[in-house]
Amino acid sequence: MLIELNNIHKTYDNGQPLHVLKGIDLSIEKGEFVSIMGASGSGKSTLLNILGILDNYDEGEYHLAGHLIKNLSERESATYRNQMIGFVFQSFNLIGFKTAVENVELPLFYQGMNRHRRHEIAMSYLEKMGLTDWASHYPNEMSGGQKQRVAIARALITHPEIILADEPTGALDSKTSVEVMELLTKLNREDGVTIIVVTHESGVANCADKIVHIKDGLIERIEDNRQHHSSVFGTTTIMK
Amino acid sequence: MRHYFDFDTLREIIDSLFRNRRRTILTGFGIFWGLFMLLFLVGGGNGLKHMLSENFEGFASNTMVMISSNTSKPWKGMKEGRYWQLTRRDVKRLKALMPELDVVAPIVSNWGQTAYYKGNSTNPGVKGISGDYNKIEQPLIKYGRAISDSDVEQERKVCVIGKRIYNDLFPEGGDPCGEFIRVGSVFLQVIGVDFSSGNLSINGSSDNSVIIPFSVAAKLYKRGENVDLICMTGKNGIKMKPLEPRVRSIMAREHLFDPTDDQALMVLNTEQIFSIVDNLFRGVNFLIWLVGIGTLLAGAVGVSNIMMVTVRERTVEIGIRRAIGAVPGDILSQIIWESVTLTLAAGSAGIVFSVLILNVVEVIAHKPFFQIHFWTAILAALLLSVLGVLAGLAPALRAMKIKPVDAMRDE
Repeated sequence: MLIELNNIHKTYDNGQPLHVLKGIDLSIEKGEFVSIMGASGSGKSTLLNILGILDNYDEGEYHLAGHLIKNLSERESATYRNQMIGFVFQSFNLIGFKTAVENVELPLFYQGMNRHRRHEIAMSYLEKMGLTDWASHYPNEMSGGQKQRVAIARALITHPEIILADEPTGALDSKTSVEVMELLTKLNREDGVTIIVVTHESGVANCADKIVHIKDGLIERIEDNRQHHSSVFGTTTIMK
Repeated sequence: MRHYFDFDTLREIIDSLFRNRRRTILTGFGIFWGLFMLLFLVGGGNGLKHMLSENFEGFASNTMVMISSNTSKPWKGMKEGRYWQLTRRDVKRLKALMPELDVVAPIVSNWGQTAYYKGNSTNPGVKGISGDYNKIEQPLIKYGRAISDSDVEQERKVCVIGKRIYNDLFPEGGDPCGEFIRVGSVFLQVIGVDFSSGNLSINGSSDNSVIIPFSVAAKLYKRGENVDLICMTGKNGIKMKPLEPRVRSIMAREHLFDPTDDQALMVLNTEQIFSIVDNLFRGVNFLIWLVGIGTLLAGAVGVSNIMMVTVRERTVEIGIRRAIGAVPGDILSQIIWESVTLTLAAGSAGIVFSVLILNVVEVIAHKPFFQIHFWTAILAALLLSVLGVLAGLAPALRAMKIKPVDAMRDE
C-alpha cells in the first residue's frame, strides 16, 4: 500500500471546535488514479492537506510509502513533501516573477541540485508538456491551460510517489479542463504515476478509476469507476 | 537540503528585490543617507579637529609661561603697585628647586626693529631664546640649524629668521645661511630659516621673528640680568597645574611679594587650552556618533518595516515554496539575505558617496585631513551587515511562521 489512512480525526479549534474529519480509513495503491469528491465543507480539502503533509491530524495513523507521517518537524515534513509529493493547485500557484522553467526547477533548487542539471531536467519536463517554446515566459504571459501544465511539470520533476491535485480544473474552461485531465490520465496510464484529484465536479472525478465520496467528515462510499460511467453529463465532457 | 550561499541564492535575492524596484530604492535610500551622514560627519569632525590642532603644531602641550607684573598687595612694609622683574637667577633657581621641570627657558624680546639686507627691509620682532626653548616651540628648520646652547654661552651674533622675514629679505629664495643681515644697528649672521607656521607662540609668532641667543639680546637691549618671561615644561607625565603654587611661593620668597598675590605673577598654562579643545572635540565626536548612528538606525527600522510588508505580500509565494519543499531555514535565510543585501548595497553606495564628498571637501579646503580611514569604512560595512541581519530578523521569523496551507487559503 502506498497510502494507508487509519481512523484519521481532525478538529479545527477557531473559537469553537469544528470536527472536520471523523475517522477516515482509506488505502490507495501505487499507480492508482483516485478522485475525492464532496460538497464544500465536507472535509475533502482537509483530507488533501493531511495527505500532502501540509497539515497534521489529531488522531489515527497515516502511512505514506511505509513512513509513518505523524508529529513530523517542519524540516522533516518539508523533505517528505519535496521528495514524495507533487502538488497541482486550483490557482496554479506559480511564482509570478519567475519564468516557466524557473518555476519547474524550484523543487530541485530546494534539493540543492546544481543549476545546469536542474535546468536540463526542467526543460525535458516542459518538452513533455509541449511547452518548450514557453520556457522563458512568465506566468502572466501564458494561458490557464499552459500555466496548469507548467504546474504539473513542477509537480512531476522530483519523481514523487503521488501527485495531489486540488481542483486542478477549477480555474479553467471546459476545453482546457478536458486537456488537463487527459494529460493527468495519460501520466497515470503510461508512466504509472499515482494521482489523487480532489474535486466537486463529477466530470473531473469521472476520469479517475476510483471515486471516494466524502460527506460530513466521513467516507460515504468508494465507487469503482473503471468503466468511467459516473458522470451524469456523459463521459467525454466536463460540465462547467 | 542546502545551507550555503551560492549563485542561485543570490539570484533569488536579486529577483525578489528587483520585483518592486521603486520601493527597494526608496528603502535603501534610508540606509544610504544614514551611512553617508555618519561617515561624512566623522570625516568632517576629524578634519576640523586637525585644522584646529594644526594651530598648535610644534608647541609642547604642557607649557607654563610666567610673566611678572605690578604687585596688588602690600608685603613686608612695601606698598602695592610695586614693579619687579624676572631674572636669569630665577631660571637657575627653578631648575634647582623643582626636579619635575624639564625645560626652564627665559625669553628676552624687543619689538619695533627694522631689519635690512641688500636694499630689502622688513619689521621683525627680535626674540632672544635659550637652546632648550626649541623644545617648547619646535622650529621647522628649512635651511641651516636652530639656536643652540653654545650660541647662548658664547654670545654669538647669529640669528634664525622666520618665514615672512626670509621672504621679505631674500625674495629670490635660496639658502641664506652665512649672509649677514642688519637688525637695528647690529649685524647678525643668518644660521637658519624657520618655516614653522603654528599659530600658538610666545611673544610673537616665529613666522615674523628674528630669533637670536637670549644672552646676545640681553646685551643688545641692555637688560642686564632681567628677562621678559620664563617658559617651563614638565617632565614626561607631569601635570603643570599642581606645580603652580610651588612656583609662586618660590618666586614670592625671592622677589618679596605676597605669595597670595595672584596679580604679581601671571601664570599661563597651555594644558588648559589643550584640554578645552580636547573636551570640545570629545563632545562633538559624541554628537556625531549619536546623530550618525541614529540616522542609520532609522534607516534600518525602515528596512525592517518594508521587509515586514513584503513578507505579508508574499504569503502565497512563501507558502508555495514551503509546499514544494523549502524548509523553514530556507525561508529564514532568504529573507535575512534579502535584508542584508539591500542594506549592504545601499550602505556601500553611502560609503562611496561620502568618500567622494569628503574628497571634494579636501580639494576645496586644501587640507588633507577629512578623508575617513580605510578601516573606518570596513568597520562601517561590518556594522551594516549586522544591522541588515537585525533588520531582517523580525520579518524572517514572521515569514517562517507561514504555513504552506496559508498559500492556498490566501486566494
